[in-house]
Amino acid sequence: MNLTNLLRQVSLRHIKYQKAQTLLALAGISLGVAAIVSIAIVNKSVLRSFEESFQNATGRAALQVTGAQSGFPEEILDKVRSVAGVEYAVPVVETDGLLAAGKERSIMILGVDVLTDGQIRSYSLAQENADIPDPLLFLARPDSILITRAMAEREGIVIDQKIRVETVLGTRTFRVRGILNPEGPAKVMGGNLAVMDIYAAQMAFGKEGRIDRVDISLMKGEELEAVRGRIRAAIPQGYTVETPAGRTRQIEGMLSKFQTGLNLISIFAIVVGMYLIYNAVSISIVQRRKEIGILRALGVTRGEIMRLFLAETLVISIVASLLGVAIGILFAGSIVGVLGKIVSIWYARTAVTGISVSWLHPVTGIACGIAASLAAAIFPVLAGSRISPISAIRSAPWSEEGFFTGKRLNRAALFFILLAASVYALYRFAGFSPLLRSSGFLFSSQIFFLLGLSLVTPAFLRGFLTLFHRLLAYRLGSTGMLAGLNLGKNINRNAVAVAAIFFGISVFVNSAGFVYSIKSSVTIWLDAVVRADIIVSDGHPSSSTNAQTIPMPVDIWRDIEKVPGVRSADPWRKLYMDYKGKRVLLSSVDMVRRGEYSHFMVVQGREQELRRLLPNKDNVVVSEPFAEQFGVKPGDFITIPTPSGPVRCGVVAVVVDYLYDSGTICMDINTFQRHWGDRLADHFSVRVKPGEDISRVKDAIQRQLGTDRKLYVLPVREFKEEIRKAMDQTFVFNYALSIITMTIAGFGIIITLLASVLERTREIGILRSIGMLRWQVSAVVLLESLLMGTAGGILGCVAGILTGRLTLEGARYSSAVEYFIPAGTIVWALFMAAGLAAVAGIYPAHRAAKTNVVEALTYE
Amino acid sequence: MIEIKNAGKTYRQGTSEIHALRNVSLGIDRGEFLSIMGPSGSGKSTLLNLIGGLDQPTSGEIFIDGRALHGISDDELTLIRRRRIGFIFQFFNLLPILTAAENVALPLLLDGTPFSRLKSKAVTLLEQVGLGARTEHRPEQLSGGEMQRVAIARALITDPAVLLADEPTGNLDSHTSEDIFILLANLNKKGQTIVMVTHDPKAAAYGTRIITLKDGVLSGDSSHAMEGR
Ligand SMILES: Nc1ncnc2c1ncn2[C@@H]1O[C@H](COP(=O)(O)OP(=O)(O)OP(=O)(O)O)[C@@H](O)[C@H]1O
Ligand SMILES: [Mg+2]
Repeated sequence: MNLTNLLRQVSLRHIKYQKAQTLLALAGISLGVAAIVSIAIVNKSVLRSFEESFQNATGRAALQVTGAQSGFPEEILDKVRSVAGVEYAVPVVETDGLLAAGKERSIMILGVDVLTDGQIRSYSLAQENADIPDPLLFLARPDSILITRAMAEREGIVIDQKIRVETVLGTRTFRVRGILNPEGPAKVMGGNLAVMDIYAAQMAFGKEGRIDRVDISLMKGEELEAVRGRIRAAIPQGYTVETPAGRTRQIEGMLSKFQTGLNLISIFAIVVGMYLIYNAVSISIVQRRKEIGILRALGVTRGEIMRLFLAETLVISIVASLLGVAIGILFAGSIVGVLGKIVSIWYARTAVTGISVSWLHPVTGIACGIAASLAAAIFPVLAGSRISPISAIRSAPWSEEGFFTGKRLNRAALFFILLAASVYALYRFAGFSPLLRSSGFLFSSQIFFLLGLSLVTPAFLRGFLTLFHRLLAYRLGSTGMLAGLNLGKNINRNAVAVAAIFFGISVFVNSAGFVYSIKSSVTIWLDAVVRADIIVSDGHPSSSTNAQTIPMPVDIWRDIEKVPGVRSADPWRKLYMDYKGKRVLLSSVDMVRRGEYSHFMVVQGREQELRRLLPNKDNVVVSEPFAEQFGVKPGDFITIPTPSGPVRCGVVAVVVDYLYDSGTICMDINTFQRHWGDRLADHFSVRVKPGEDISRVKDAIQRQLGTDRKLYVLPVREFKEEIRKAMDQTFVFNYALSIITMTIAGFGIIITLLASVLERTREIGILRSIGMLRWQVSAVVLLESLLMGTAGGILGCVAGILTGRLTLEGARYSSAVEYFIPAGTIVWALFMAAGLAAVAGIYPAHRAAKTNVVEALTYE
Repeated sequence: MIEIKNAGKTYRQGTSEIHALRNVSLGIDRGEFLSIMGPSGSGKSTLLNLIGGLDQPTSGEIFIDGRALHGISDDELTLIRRRRIGFIFQFFNLLPILTAAENVALPLLLDGTPFSRLKSKAVTLLEQVGLGARTEHRPEQLSGGEMQRVAIARALITDPAVLLADEPTGNLDSHTSEDIFILLANLNKKGQTIVMVTHDPKAAAYGTRIITLKDGVLSGDSSHAMEGR
C-alpha cells in the first residue's frame, strides 16, 4: 500500500470525522507561528521606526554628539566646530512637550538654529507660503513654532493660530507660523513634532545655555572614523559620538531585554502549539488503534505507519503555518502601535507608523511551525508504530500501549529532579563563576524541575485518584464512581492534560509569588523611604521612567513652602544617563532637608556617615543592581560622566532602591547642580504641619501653583499606589505568560475529554440504555474534568511556590526582597484550575450527553 | 401489558427514506417469552429498541403497563428504561471499568442507592445466573458466556416489567448459547416477561410465541396459528 493512497483514503476521512481535534491542533500551531511572526515583525518594526526617525531627524548628519539627558553646555559646539574635517556642526535641543490643544497630546519639540540648521536638514512648507525660500526664517520670534501637516490636519490647526504648550515655565502660548510638508524631520514621530528656534526652546524647557545634541556633517573626502576620533579627543569624556546607525544599535541594546521578553512569549506560544499537536496526535493514535492494527495485518509496515502519521502532521502543519503567517502579519499590524507606546513610556520616544515585513519572517515562521509539529508528533507516532496487528482482532476495550511505562517515567522524572537540584546547588555554591551564577543557569534548573514533575504526573494522578476513591467517590454516587474509574483507566493520556494544567498553574503561581514578593518588598521600602505627606510632581507618576514629563524649576520648593499648612518641601530630580554603556538612573535629592525625615535602606556601608559624606560632596550611594552590575562596594570610586566633564565620586553605601532595575546612583542635589548645571526638579516631597489636613493642604498647593502649569499633587498614599501600579506594568510579560499557559491547559483538557468521550461512545450507549439520564452522563464527564483540574492545580501550586523562589533568586532584585508565599493567589489558583477544567469540560460533556443511544449501541 | 399500535419507524437519509418498520401492531402479555425472527435488515432491532424506549416511533403508539412511550421527554423515557426495562445486547454489554457485581448494580447505582446496600442483591443475582464465584472479576477476565450472564443479572436487578434481548448469543458458541437460552426460559417460567430477537429458529423455539418480520412488516405470528408452547 502506498503512502499517498493511505493519505487520500484514510487520513482525509479522519480529518473529516475528527474535526474538533484537527482544528485544535491546527489552531495551536497557527497561533504559535502567528506569535513568532508577529513578534519578529513588531520587534523589527520598532527598531526600524527608530532608524527611520534618526535618519529623518539627522538629515545629512554623519555623526552626532550626545550627552546626558539634561543636555550639555553650548561650549561643546565650538569645540566640535573647530575639529578638522567637520563641515557643519549644528546644535539641537530635543525635548518632549505637551500640546494643550483639544485632547492633550505629547509631541517632540525640536529646537534648531535658524541660521545653520538648513545645512543639515531640509524643511519644506505647505502650499500657502511656498514662496518663502527658507521656512526657518519664520522662527525668528521666540513665540513662533512650526508644526507638521499631519498634526495640523488632525488637530485642525491653521496658520497663525495660537497653540498652548506645556513648558518648564508653565503653559505658554505659541503662534503657528508655518506648516511643514511631511519631509525629513517632519516625518519623525508620525508627525507629532514641532520645530522652534533653539534659543526659545532653551528658555521654554529650562535648558538655558545647554543643548542636547550636535549634528555634524563631514567635509568631502574625510574619513568618518578619523573625524570621529578627533572629535572624541576634542571634547570631555562622557559624550557619545555616534553615527545615526550606531544610535539605532544603542537603542537595540537598550531594548534587548524587552525584546527578549517578547521573544520568550513567542517561544512559549510555539511550545504550547507543540503540546496541542502532541495531544492531538496521541489521541488520534489511541482512537485509531484498531485501524492501525488492521493496516498492519494487511501488510503495512511500521515505517509506513510512521510515515503516514508524520505525513498527516506535515500536511496539518503546513496549512497551519501558512495560516499562522497570515494571522501574524495582521496581528503585528494591530499591535505595533501599542508596543510602540510601551517602548515610548519605558525606553525611548518613538511613534511606530507601520510594520516592515521581510521575506525572512514568513520563512522562519513556516520552518518553525513545521519543525515544531513534527518534533511534537514523533513520540506518539513512535508509540503508534509499535501497535501490533493483533490489536485489530483483540477486542479488549482498552489497553495502554507499553511505550511510556510507569517505571520508565518515574525513572526519567527522578533523573530530571535530581538534575534540577544539582544545577541549583551549583548555582548556589559554585562561588562567583559568572557562567554558573547567571539567571539563565538558574532558569534551566527550573525547567528541569518542571519537566521532572510533569513526568511524575501519571503517578501523581494515580495516587490522587486512589485518594478520591477512598474518601469521596462513593459519596458522589454512581457519578463519582464512574468518573474516578474512567480517569484511572487511561492514566497516561489523562496525565498529559493534568500536566498541562499543572504547568499552567505553576507558571501562574510562580509569577504571582514573584510579583507578590517584589510588591511586598517594594511596599516596605516605599514606606521606609518615602516619608513625606504629599508629592508634587510634573507628570503622572505611573508614567515614571521616561515619560513625557516637563520638569519644574527647582526653586519652586520655596513657593510650596509658602503655602499655608506646609511644613517643608524639598526637590527630587531624576535623570537617565549612560554609565559604561548601560542606562542607569541618576536620582538626586536634597540630602540635608530630606535626611531630616527619610532614610536610605542601607545594605552595605554605614548609615551614620551618610549625613556627613553626602551633602554637596562628590560622594554617592548606589543601588544593589548597580553595585552588582559594575562590581562596586563602599569605599570604591566611580567616574561619572557629567556635562562638565568626568567626576570621580566615592561610593559611600549600597542601598535598596527599586526605582530602576538596571541600577540607580543617588547624590545630593547640590552636587548634581554643580556638575550638571541643571536647576530643575521632577518631584517635590512635601510634609504638612502637624494637625493639618493633608487633602486641604494638597488643594491649596494645587490652587496656588497649578494655575499656569500642569501639576500633579498627590497625597503620598496615592503616590505610592501609582508607583506600585507602574511596577505592575513591568510584570505584563509574567501575566501574559500565565494567561497563555492557562488557555492552553484548557485546550488540553478539551481535547483529552473529547477523545475520551468519543472513545467511550459504546459505553455511554450502554449506560443510557440501562437508564442513565443525560445530565448524569454530563456530570460524569464534568467531574472527570474537575478532578483533572484539581490534581493539576495541587501539583501546580507546589511547583509554583518552589520555582517562584528560584525566579525571585534569579532576578536578584535586591537582598531585601524576601519570598512571600502568595496565599491568596494559591487559593485562587486552585479554584481557577478546577473552574477552568470544568469550563473546558462543558463541550465534551455536552457531546457525551447528546450521544445517540441506538447508534452508539450499533457502533462497535 | 405491552401495546404497540400502528408503530412505524422511518429513517431519513438525505432525500431517500428507509422504512425500517411499517404499521406494526402487536400486544405482548405478562409472562410471555416472545421471539422475534426475520431476515437481516427486516427491522427486528428497530422494533426491540422501540419497545425498550431506546428510540421513539415516527408514527403510531407504544404503551407499557398503560404508560405511553411515544411523545414523552428523553428524561422520562430514560427513567422508564432504568426502572421498568432490562436490556441484553449482543456484545460489549458491560462497562469494562467496573467489576461484575458493580456492573450488575449499575441501574440502581444510577438511581442513587449506595453500592454497599446493593452488593448483596447483586451477588445473589450473580449466584442465580451461576456466577457466584466471579463477583469481583472485571469483564475482560470473563468469558463471553459469563459476560452475557452478568448482563442478564444486571437486567434483572430492577425487577423489570420486561427483559429485552437482541441476539444475546450472537457472539457465542452453540453450547454456551444453549445455556443462556435455558437460563432465559427458566426466568420466564418464574413469570419474567421476555422479548428476544434472534436469527436462529432453534433459539426462537425457546420462546412461548414467535413473530416474524419482513421488510419492516409483521408477517407471521405463532399465537394466531395456536402453536405456542
Ligand atoms: N440509523 C439508521 N439510519 C438509517 N437506516 C437505518 C438506521 N438503523 C437501521 N436502519 C435501517 O433500518 C432497517 C432495519 O434495521 P434493523 O437494525 O432493525 O434490522 P435487523 O432486523 O435488526 O437486522 P439484523 O438481523 O441484521 O440485525 C435496515 O434496512 C437498516 O439499514
Ligand atoms: Mg439487529
